[in-house]
Formats: sequence, C-alpha cells, structure tokens
Amino acid sequence: MTARAVNPLDRRYALLGVMLIAPAVLIFCAVIVYPLVSALYLSLFRIFTPTLTGNFVGFANYAELMSSPEFWRSLLNTFIWTVFTLALQIIFGVAAALMLNQAMVFRSLARSLILFPYFVSTVVAVLVWRWLFNDLYGILNHTLMWMGVLSMPLDWLGSMPNAMVSVVLVGAWKYFPFVVIAVLARLQTIPEQLYEAATIDGAGAWGRFWDVTLPQLRDVLIVVILLRAIWDFKEFDLIYLLTGGGPIIATQTLPLMVYKEAFGLNEMGRASAVAVAMMLVMLVFMIVYFRALRAREEPR
Amino acid sequence: MRPSLLRRVAFNLLAWAVVFVVAFPLVWMVITSVKPQFELFRIPPTFWPEQVTFEHYARLLWETPFLTYMRNSLILSTATTILVVAVATLGAHSLVRFRYPGRERLAGLVLFTYLLPSVVLILPLYLMMVWLGVANSLLSLVIAYTSFALPYALWLLRSFMQGIPDDLENAALVDGATRLGAFFDVILPQALPGIISTSLFTFILSWNEYLYALVLVNTDAARPLTTGVMNMLISAFNIEWSLLMAASVMMSIPLIIIFAFLQKYLTRGFGAGGVKG
Repeated sequence: MTARAVNPLDRRYALLGVMLIAPAVLIFCAVIVYPLVSALYLSLFRIFTPTLTGNFVGFANYAELMSSPEFWRSLLNTFIWTVFTLALQIIFGVAAALMLNQAMVFRSLARSLILFPYFVSTVVAVLVWRWLFNDLYGILNHTLMWMGVLSMPLDWLGSMPNAMVSVVLVGAWKYFPFVVIAVLARLQTIPEQLYEAATIDGAGAWGRFWDVTLPQLRDVLIVVILLRAIWDFKEFDLIYLLTGGGPIIATQTLPLMVYKEAFGLNEMGRASAVAVAMMLVMLVFMIVYFRALRAREEPR
Repeated sequence: MRPSLLRRVAFNLLAWAVVFVVAFPLVWMVITSVKPQFELFRIPPTFWPEQVTFEHYARLLWETPFLTYMRNSLILSTATTILVVAVATLGAHSLVRFRYPGRERLAGLVLFTYLLPSVVLILPLYLMMVWLGVANSLLSLVIAYTSFALPYALWLLRSFMQGIPDDLENAALVDGATRLGAFFDVILPQALPGIISTSLFTFILSWNEYLYALVLVNTDAARPLTTGVMNMLISAFNIEWSLLMAASVMMSIPLIIIFAFLQKYLTRGFGAGGVKG
C-alpha cells in the first residue's frame, strides 16, 4: 500500500463500489466461472456430443489419457511449438525493436508495417501463408528455387518436419510484433547517459547492448516471455487452420486435440479431460507469471 | 560522434529490407487480389500484375455471401465492444477508486481469466448455448465473446484509470459533487482516450475471433467473416486464390482504419493527465 490516507468516506462508498463492479462479476460468473467448473465436472463423464447424453465414469477419462500415446504426443508437440516459436518471437522482436529505435527514413511507416501482422486476423494470415506455401504456384518455392536454395518445390505443410517448421515460422511472424511493442516502449525510457557512460568506458556497440540495453530490458522481457508462452501454449486458430494438426497428428497440439475429441470424435467428456489437463500445465506458467508481476511491482 | 553518411544509408537500406520481408506476405495478398485468375498460374510468377482487375472484388461482393458475413461481423463486434466496454468502464472505476473486501483478489482473478484458454471454456459454453436455445445465433457469439473480451477490457481500463490522479476526483468531491457525478464529470473525460483505445482493441479482438464462431455457429445467416471466409476455402471446388486474397484484403480494411486511429490514441492515451499547473 502506498502512503495514501484512508478516506473515512471510503467505507460508506464501498456499497456503491460493489454495485459498479456487480455487472462485471455477474458476467464473469456466467461465462467464465460456471464454464470452468462445468469443464471439471464434464471431464468425469462419458458424453456423446450430438445427443449430449452420457454417464458418470469418474476418473476413467484421465486414466485413458495417461495411457494414450496421442495425448503425450500432443503435449510434446505443444511444447515444441511453444519453445521454438517463442524463441524466434523474442529474437526477432528484440532485434526489430532495436532497429526501429534507431533513426531511419519514414520510421513511423516502418513501425506500422512491422506491427501489422499482429493485428491482422489469423484467418487472413493463414490464407496468405497457405498461398505463399502453395507447392505448385507459391512464390516461396519459386523464389527459393530461383535463388538456388532449393532444387525441387518443397511440400511446406504436408510432410514432416516441414509442417512443424512452417507452423513455427508463421507463428513467429504473426506474434513477434507483440514483443516489438513492449520492448520498443521500454527502450525509449532508457536514459541516454547510460550509453554515454558506457561509450566513455570504451564499450563498443555490442558491449553497450550486453551491458546497458539487455539488463534494462530484463524485467520487460521476463513478463513478455511468460505472457507469450501462455498465449502460444493455448494457440488454436493458427495451427488448426494451417495444418489441422497434420500430417496425421504430427503438429497436433493440446488445444487441437480438445477440439478433435469434442467435435471430431464426439467424445465431449474426454475432450474436457484433455482441456483440464492442459489447464494444469498452464497453471504452472501462470503462477510463475503472477510471481514475476508481483516482483516487478514491489520495488516501486 | 555522428555516424558517417555511408553507414546511415547502409542501415536504412538494411532496415527497409527487413521491413519489406516482414510486410511481404501482406503486399503479396494485395497484389494477388488484383491479378486475373490465369496470371496466378504463370511460371515463373509475375511480381507486378500485367493486368490489374477488380473482378474478384466484384464477384466477392455480388456472388458470394461475403456481405452477409461482413454485416454479421460488424454487428457482432460492435455489440460485443459496446457491452464489454460499458461494463468494464464501471468495473475498472470500482476496482481503482473504491475500497471493499476482496478487491485485490478480484483484480488478480481478472488477470487470471484473461490468460485462460478458450478451448477449456468452449465446451461448457457450447452446452450452455444449446440449453438456452440460442445456439447458431449472433447473440450466442456475443455472449461467448464476452468471456475473453471482458477480462481484457477490464484489465486494460484498470491500468488506464490507475494513471488518473486521485486529486482530480477529490477536488470535485470537495466542490460538492457526488461520487457518481464526479465519475461522469471528471473521471470519464479523463479516461476517454483509454476508453477509446480499449474499444478499438476489443473490436479488433472480436473481429478476428475464430474458435467460438467455428463451434457455435454453422449457418451462413449468423456466420462472421473469419469462419465464413475460411468456409469459402474449404468448400471450394477448386481454390480461387485471388478471390480469397480479395476477401482477406476486404477483411483487413476495418483494421487498417482502426490502426490509423490507434496510433494517435496510443500516444495520447498515456499522456500526462490534468494535474499539473
């Protein structure tokens, strides 16, 4: 708590405060808390999606999952996708932010163009990339063959490991601007004197980056990495629309498995069990994220 | 120490090359959308269209359900935004300026729900919509969209409102305003840039949503652009890429307009406030 004195009127106003937040709380209960509890409950049943009838099976769904290779494969895929696309997002994001922080012609236009992939709908991004990836008429294969990198057109989405690489790359392209926004905002607040002092001490451009910029970015980067890790982990649209989890289940992550179980295989109960299991894994990220946020706010 | 002219030119060239590579897919989308269908199958492909045509846009508007999808998306995103921002503005004001037990815990809960995966909520929400008898309607989507838009707007507005100094409201109260009067006369005008940018972001979020629309709606009458356009790809006999690219361009136009707005409000939204002097 800050040094702000407690206003005696505050207590009398508490009721008004509660009334103002009440609509939000009610909606929260209806569309978030109830579904969340309901998902836990559903995971204990075996439910046939089209008729929505089923019977109680206890933890059988979870037991089935634990012994299902598909579940473990999907979990592994989720981690592979998250780690690689996140790493690329951070590297590209920081590099682009450093670049856009320098003087350049038409800088604000350049910034808008860099940020645009993040704001465009995933559907649009996927359509464009599927056209770029097209094996017969896609510009990507033609350019790479013209440059001599490839001798034959590459099947970008239909075979492994290409499909995973493509998904990771498109994910990095789509989401790195988020890192740019956060890092760029922080870069603008680093005092110029720090760089001057480092230059006087004989640091080169690389030394200034390691000794001044990176330590200053540390806090922002921790929060950004955790936030993006959580969002990448639960990503559905991009992967589902690019590969549909294929070939077979090679790029199927947990969110895709939930969807497939519920609406492809009509196993609503098992789908809920996958969703709950996925939540448990994410909970670890979330707790770390909350800790990091609190640690960041306390010194102030 | 000024960098030499040569180094500056080299940096600019490199930087713009990077920008070009990042923006290329979107450039290619626009270029493809104005090429005649037969030109797409040229080997090697042409960069600039030899012949510029808007036939795909015309076809899109008059021969496909695109305009219905567009209308649905506009209604859906506008309704969600108005509902969510109204509720979130009151809620954020309460979280920032009032004191009652459980306030901090509630704020933490908001952040937690903001990180929640949609796939977990979608199954019970689907059952709920079937039970309420509103499945397959825009209303069901508005209800479902609040589950991600409300935590988002609440969290964003809370941080905007924390930036408004307490003194402003206190001064109004000393002058005899009621709490609610002070909210409408003092806090709301101060929070307006924050409310506008939150609205724009919420609109974009709803405009781009895919999963809920995929699960909850399967009639063209209530389908928004995201699932509608994707359906054009899946159900097509042979994929017409220039038509799909034209659809992608049309779908992104509202975002470009909002984007132009947003830059102004993003910088203004974090401005100093009215306490100095």
